Amino acid sequence: MALSVAVVLAYVALLTFVAVRARAAREFEEFSLAGRALPLALVFGSLAATYVGPAFSIGFVGRGFESGLLFLGIGLAYSIQNILVGLFVAPRLRHLKGCHTLGEAIGQKYDQRCQIVAGIISVGLCAGFAAVMARAGGNVLHDVFRLPRWSSVFIVVAVTALYTTFGGLRASVITDAFQFSSFAILLPTTLLFMLAFHLKDGAATFATQASTATRNGLSVTSPVEIIGLLAAFLLGETLIPPYANRALASRTTNISRNGFILAGLFSVFWFMVMISLGITARSIIPADTGEDFVLLDLVKSTMPAFGYALLLVVLVSVVMSSLDSLLNAGAVAFTQDILKPFVKLPDTSSLNVGRAATIIIALVAAAGAVAVPSIIGGLLICYTIWAPAILPTLIIGLWVKRPRPLAGILSMGVGTVVAIMLWLILRLIFKYVYPSDVEIPPLIIIPAIGAALLAYALGHWIERYKSGA
Amino acid sequence: MKLLLFIFVIIGALVVITSGIWVAITLITSNRHS
Repeated sequence: MALSVAVVLAYVALLTFVAVRARAAREFEEFSLAGRALPLALVFGSLAATYVGPAFSIGFVGRGFESGLLFLGIGLAYSIQNILVGLFVAPRLRHLKGCHTLGEAIGQKYDQRCQIVAGIISVGLCAGFAAVMARAGGNVLHDVFRLPRWSSVFIVVAVTALYTTFGGLRASVITDAFQFSSFAILLPTTLLFMLAFHLKDGAATFATQASTATRNGLSVTSPVEIIGLLAAFLLGETLIPPYANRALASRTTNISRNGFILAGLFSVFWFMVMISLGITARSIIPADTGEDFVLLDLVKSTMPAFGYALLLVVLVSVVMSSLDSLLNAGAVAFTQDILKPFVKLPDTSSLNVGRAATIIIALVAAAGAVAVPSIIGGLLICYTIWAPAILPTLIIGLWVKRPRPLAGILSMGVGTVVAIMLWLILRLIFKYVYPSDVEIPPLIIIPAIGAALLAYALGHWIERYKSGA
Repeated sequence: MKLLLFIFVIIGALVVITSGIWVAITLITSNRHS
């Protein structure tokens, strides 16, 4: 216990030192886009640190334990998404002049009303995601210090909000890179340690366990669920505000493209390591271990106390690196997309508003953490709303020469409403009419995107008809 | 086949570790420049 506390405190002190070295942002351009000067390694490290949250670490180890290589296949959809964004979308986004946010990109292509709607969706989504991260971070601290859950959540959010408020995107990216290095070195080293010292018969046992678990996974997951999960991983997290900010903050268009491509390729290897940890755990820990506890129990039962303490550090890193990015992206979207269209703000005021918004979103996230049903469940709900709400408008807008504002507004509105309504209806159906544990969000994403596309086509046709063009 | 899967996993782990080291080195050197 004392060792765990000491290691976590030492880590927080080191992180604070790194954040202080990143300096406080002196102008809004620095706060929101880190002066558009990020090199490739930092864009890549920060992107990877942001997407590797609790779901892509603890969650994937648990899925590897239960369904073997099945989730490696599903995770590949996420890798492909990143590579496609790098090849086709990120360079176009970076190419736009004077753009701070995704909403501003949509505003440049459509009109200011579309920017405001996109801004509202962005801020809401960032607060939702941040609440999930706050809850995950609170869980880790609760395990280490035995503090009440609310104060654990408050500590994680307060430390993260502190350096994000002063340093903005630059502090977020630099601490992300530090956190990325911590978990990208420690977790695979844990896997190699397990394979070398704890897996009897090495390759043969690993292959047998992988095959048994994968067969088990395929037998309990229906093809419809697999298609829904593939769609959720392919589209759900595409260009959420923190990723878009990194595309916009890259030093050049090439860095923006290559950062996403490298992050996509990295995710293949990352998923492989996480799934392999889960498969290895099958011959070490009891078969009835809960999905979210596989990684913790595996490390507890095989590593010395120091190893367990290091794992806690890794988990804190995983959570904070995602949380800081979400706080910054939400604050920048609020300032740039919601406030600036109504009020003309000088640079110093923009910076102060951005800082205040960071603190408010952090408080909302801390309060909302209590209402989060589960880590994976909360993330899936956010994905399911984001993809239909923003993707059709953004992607079509970046590719079409004269996109129509009505099409953008209708698509964003209908996508959001249909996703929320379907989620509520299916939740009632699977709770009261056909009681089942089926994961609802993956079933919603494709119909909701279909509705958003239809609404887009309708808006485009109406405006074209009106203008007679 | 079994050995191939095992080797692939070990290579994956090494690639992830290398990425972590690359970002750490960039972080140290870029901080020094600024």
